[in-house]
Formats: sequence, C-alpha cells, structure tokens
Amino acid sequence: MNSTARPGSSIVRQLTSTPEFLPFTLLTVLVVTFAALTPNFLSQGNLSNLLAFTPELGMIALGMTVLMTSGEFDLSVGSVFGFTPVLMWTLFNEGIMPLELAMVIGLIVAVGIGFVNGWFVTRLRIPSFLVTLGMMMTVRGVALYTTSGFPQRTWRAESWLMDLVVGDFYVGGFRLYASLFWFIGFALVLGYIMTQSKFGNWIQAAGGNPIAARARGVRVSVTKTWLFMLTSFLAAYAGITSSIRVSAANPNSGTGYELEVIAMVVIGGTALAGGRGTILGTVLGVLMLRMMRNGIVLIGVPGLAYNIFIGVTILTMMALQAYLARRHPMGGG
Amino acid sequence: MATDLIQMKGIAKSYGPVTALDGVDFAVRENEIVGLLGDNGAGKSTLIKILSGTVTATRGDIFVRGQKAQIRNTTDAIALGIETIHQDSALVTQLSIARNLFLGREPTIGPGFLNRMDKRKMNEVAGRLLKEIGIKKDIPATTPISYLSGGERQAVSIARALHFDSDLIILDEPTNNLGVEETQGVLRFMRRARDTGHSLIFIAHNIHHVFQVVDRIVVLRRGKVVAEDVDPKQTTIEAVEELITGMAITQAA
Ligand SMILES: Nc1ncnc2c1ncn2[C@@H]1O[C@H](COP(=O)(O)OP(=O)(O)OP(=O)(O)O)[C@@H](O)[C@H]1O
Ligand SMILES: [Mg+2]
Repeated sequence: MNSTARPGSSIVRQLTSTPEFLPFTLLTVLVVTFAALTPNFLSQGNLSNLLAFTPELGMIALGMTVLMTSGEFDLSVGSVFGFTPVLMWTLFNEGIMPLELAMVIGLIVAVGIGFVNGWFVTRLRIPSFLVTLGMMMTVRGVALYTTSGFPQRTWRAESWLMDLVVGDFYVGGFRLYASLFWFIGFALVLGYIMTQSKFGNWIQAAGGNPIAARARGVRVSVTKTWLFMLTSFLAAYAGITSSIRVSAANPNSGTGYELEVIAMVVIGGTALAGGRGTILGTVLGVLMLRMMRNGIVLIGVPGLAYNIFIGVTILTMMALQAYLARRHPMGGG
Repeated sequence: MATDLIQMKGIAKSYGPVTALDGVDFAVRENEIVGLLGDNGAGKSTLIKILSGTVTATRGDIFVRGQKAQIRNTTDAIALGIETIHQDSALVTQLSIARNLFLGREPTIGPGFLNRMDKRKMNEVAGRLLKEIGIKKDIPATTPISYLSGGERQAVSIARALHFDSDLIILDEPTNNLGVEETQGVLRFMRRARDTGHSLIFIAHNIHHVFQVVDRIVVLRRGKVVAEDVDPKQTTIEAVEELITGMAITQAA
C-alpha cells in the first residue's frame, strides 16, 4: 500500500519494505501450520466461530491504529467496551427509553469519554498512558458500581437494530454475523482516510513530528482529540455488538482488551511511537492473533502454558517488525 | 522612503526570570537578505519565532507592509506570507517529499466531504520543484524524507517556502551540519529567492556563510540589538565578531 522505492531497488526489496509484508507472511505460515496439524482448524464450525468474535476486537484495533499513528494510544478501550452496553441495556431495561435511543445515548457518552481523554492529553499535556489509565479505572469502576457487578439481561429486547448490528445468517454452511460487514466497512473507510485524505496526512504528521506539523498550520491537538473520540466510539460500538451477540452485558467484559489490541496493531506494522500506521496491517494482525489463540487450543497446548505461547509469539513478531521498520522507513506516496 | 516589509517594534520576551528579548526593534526591507547574528542564547531564535507565530511576545508590535499585524499562531504567520524553516526539524521524516511540501495545504480533488488529496498534482509539482532547486539525482517525490541527506532536506524546506510564494522566508541555521557542496546549494537558493522578489532572514553562526549572501547584518547581544545596519561590503569579519561578543578580539601575535 505504501511501498516506496528508490531507483534500482529490486522487487524483493520493495515487497519487504511494505509494513504489511511481515504480518501477511506470518499469517500464511500460521494458517498452513495449523491446518496441517489439525484438520479441525479449517472446518466450517471453527471458521464461523473465529469470524464471530474477531470483528469485535478488530473494530477496537482499527480505532487504535489511527490513534497510534497520531502518536497517542488509549488504554480505556476495554472499559468502554464493557461500560457502554451496560449503560445502554440499563436505560432500556429500566424502561427509561427505547433500545434505539439507548444505543445512541451510549455511543454519545462513549464519544464524550474520548473527548475527555483527548482534552487531558492535548490541553493539559499529560501523557496518554496516564490519562487513559485513569480513565480505564474510572469507567470500569462506574460499570461495576452501578450494576453491583451483575450482568444486564438483554434477551427481552426485540429490535431491527439488533439484526442490523450483529444479526446472523447462513452462506452455504457458514454462519456469519452482520458485524463482519461492519468491520470490513469501518476498515475500508479508515483505510481511505489514512492513505487518501488530507486528514490522513495530518494524522501521520501529528505522530511523526508534531512540532513541524504545527509549524505548517496543522491543528495537531484538534486532530488527536478527534481520534480519541473515534477510538472510543469504535470500542463502544464493538461492546454493543458483543452484548447483543452473547445476549448479556457484563460489566467485566473487555478486561485486558486494550493490551491485546495494541499488540495486534503493532504486529500489523503500525509504529508504537507514531508517524506511520497501516489499516491493512492491522486487519492482518487481528486475524493472526485470533487464529493463534484459536489454533493453540485446537492443537491441545495445555491451558496453563497458553499465555507463555502467546507472549513469546507477540515478542518475536514485534522484534521482527521493529527490525524491518528500521531497515525500511515508510513514505506513504 | 518605501515602507519596510516587516517592522518589529519594542519586542520583549521573558521566560519566567529569563529575559530573552529586551525591547528589540528589527526591520526587513523588500528584496533583501538580512543576516541575524549573535552568540548562543542571544535571542535570535526567539525573535524569529515571534514572527513565525510559534512564540508570543510579552510586549511589542509587528507591522507587515506598514499594517499592524496580529500573529497569534503559525496559521496567522503563513497567511501574512511568512514562511519559516526552523533550526530544529522542519519536516516529518516518515512522510514523502510531496506530502511534506504540501503539509497543511494539501490540494484536494473531488467533492469536498471526501477530503481527498490530489496526489497526482502533489507528486507532479514536487517533482518539478526538486529539479528547479537543483537536486540533480532523480529522486521520486514519493521518497520519504528519512532517505534524504541533510542538504537535500534543507532544499525541500526551501522549495516549500518558494513554492507557496511567501514574501518573507526565515532560515534558522539552515547550513548547520551541511557539507561544502550542500552549503553552497543553500546559499544559491537564497540568492535566487531574493532575485525573484522574496525577502529572507538568515541566521547562522558561520560568519563566512553570512558574508557571502546577505545585504545587511543585524547583531543581537543578550536580547538587545547592538548593530542594525552593518554592510558586509564595508566591514570585516573581525569587526562583526567584536560586535557579537562585545569584546575587542586581540590578534594572536
Ligand atoms: N522555551 C524556553 N524556556 C525558557 N527559556 C528559553 C526558552 N527558549 C529560549 N529560552 C532562553 O531564551 C534565551 C534566548 O534563546 P534563543 O533560543 O532565542 O537563542 P539563540 O540566539 O537562538 O541561540 P542559539 O544560537 O544557541 O540558537 C536563552 O537564554 C534561552 O535559554
Ligand atoms: Mg537559535
């Protein structure tokens, strides 16, 4: 997507210099390996399963990619993922408002949380690590306190909205959810913004060299604040999706997602320090980590060894990615 | 007498207890290169940052072509035709040459809500500019800045100032860390810019470089102007060094 070549460079060099090269290669290796080790991996049932949950983490990862490209990140996404559906379903279950309105209110509150994050980071100049860590605890705390830790029921609702967000249907023998198409849609829109739009150029500049960007008249703080709001919105939307699909809004859900999502984004080729990011890479990174988790269970790695496996894989992939990034800085034609 | 392009009057700036500028009067005429000299910490960068909108003065007024101007941020300065190439990194190294050239002023194509950059135009113009400023190697406009040498980067910054046809181009130590060839390149761009109707402010510690291009030298010492109309053709480097340090430099026997 962003390959840039100096004259005389070989096709191989061009190929390896795209940030999506590594995740794509590893994903291929992963699929082939798991498919060879266990026939179950490519079964309809397993693939349908994979595609049910993947879009939910994936949507958070898309937002995080854009935010990280601008040089910030958000640790509160997991809490927003858990809190927003709790808020929405509480408003509905208590008979305060219809479901559609409750969803709109939930999303607005989430965007407000993103705005507060952005305001603290850009106006008070507090690092996003501290701001969003505080927000993560605050939001999770509110979700737990207001529900006393109990899940909100969701099965009483009947609404076209639920089908629109995450209705299921069969294609051949495959069970698919509408959330997959939302994920693809969000990815296309954000991919366009990042590579084709003027705003995308500002996002990369804000992360790459904020002083230079400001000197060109780019509104760095405004750009970042919008991206915090976008990230929060996508986390909230993913949380709502999840609550409808599993028929429960659990105030604990989404715990730990922030780190998993950041790992997916970095493995996909987006720089943790900002300045360069790739939506396609993130999609690959999301698929890779999800398949990894899924495949490890299928081939029978013992439960307690599971995290060792995941942790070492993430470290290895990040090291490779860092090595490639140093060799091939990216230009974004 | 024609009005000056820029006039700064009674400019003062303090950072807490530190007085960086103390009542500075400074002017730039049309079509001239002004050399701004002074030792480390004399206040040169602070003065030009006030002009380019990245720092606001504690006191003082700025006039552009005789009109009083409010410069609250970089956008204001750019709108007044003031382009600055800052001492510390003016480019985004991750982005391509073309994306840097147009950063903040990207041309768009298609319906407004799509916010779509006209990449073809950007790459075309960038390619042409690179040739104009004399980069001989055939570097594509999509090359990231991080692939370029220091001299090539300065050339890109200057090309940007020239392209947007700013009246005043400010260069804060543009020849730092540059080789002989690259330095000559930068000085050549400066002369060309002046000859095509721009004014420039040139800050550098290497007085030899300054003497080669400027029409007039202004010297700052500890936040005050100590000389404002030094003609490089009528003076010596030693005399200017004395002005900068405020001490007579004794010749080694
Ligand atoms: N952001 C700041 N905060 C506090 N003091 C500052 C700041 N910027 C500059 N100063 C002080 O203001 C004075 C003038 O600094 P300035 O950067 O204008 O000097 P300069 O002439 O450009 O020096 P140099 O040749 O080293 O670049 C110095 O004493 C410096 O320490
Ligand atoms: Mg300076």
